[in-house]
Amino acid sequence: MANELRQSQDRTMEVRGKEALQQEGMRPGWVFRPDVDIVEQPEEYVVTADLPGVGEEDLRVHLEKGVLTIEAQPSVRPEDRWQPIHLEYRIGGYRREFAMSEAVDAQGISARMRDGVLEIRLPKAKPHQPRRIAVTRG
Amino acid sequence: MASFLGRVEPRPEDSWTTFERLRREMQSLLGPAGWREIPLDAPRVFPSANLYDASESLVLMAELPGVRESDLDISVQGNQVVLRGQRSIQYPEGASAHRRERQVGAFHRTVELPFVVDADKVDAVYRHGVLTLHIPKPREHQRRQVQVRAS
Repeated sequence: MANELRQSQDRTMEVRGKEALQQEGMRPGWVFRPDVDIVEQPEEYVVTADLPGVGEEDLRVHLEKGVLTIEAQPSVRPEDRWQPIHLEYRIGGYRREFAMSEAVDAQGISARMRDGVLEIRLPKAKPHQPRRIAVTRG
Repeated sequence: MASFLGRVEPRPEDSWTTFERLRREMQSLLGPAGWREIPLDAPRVFPSANLYDASESLVLMAELPGVRESDLDISVQGNQVVLRGQRSIQYPEGASAHRRERQVGAFHRTVELPFVVDADKVDAVYRHGVLTLHIPKPREHQRRQVQVRAS
């Protein structure tokens, strides 16, 4: 019975575009897709994510092989002893990944967390200067 | 700037909301006597709010990421707690949006409780974009402002 319920929950989470997964380095439980804005400016991309309950210490942002990953576990959460009366959101982690289509300057990336909103600035990589290779006569 | 002022797009009922509705119906049948189920608005309203029974008080938690304290108004009247405010998101001129998922605009939510709330005893904390109201069970009947203290 408990198993069946669990399965039906998993299925519905997928329908909502959210997934229940257990990952290395993360606590088990629900994982949700945060709402995200991605805005392009001449010099940079700005990725903004709603991560209610998350402080800067609860967050991991990394860029690897052109994929930007946001992972977080909210630290503002209800106490276990509280009995739910009415629920509109579930407590769980956040995770989202984006493949960056344009090269960004990995060294220049900065992230800032404020009032449960994450803002990541990704400077565009400077276009490669055409390099002339001198050919010397041998 | 995109805006959904005063309304939040409801999502069509999917199996998640069906499941939620069934769960709630079950809960209202099985729930503790004397507690009336609070009517649920459309799924994914802003802000989403959870209500918990912490025995000596009720605890209301609302997800309000990026809402400044100055843009948030919490008031109590009778057995209702009202959350009002707005969230604005501005990007510089000339910026082009690849994705706009974060909701903006004004919000207004009323939470009905099974008792009259004593506004003086409500404790409000806004931290990491979550508003937590501790509402001690019973008393009084007056409309007051509740101060939000920064944590």
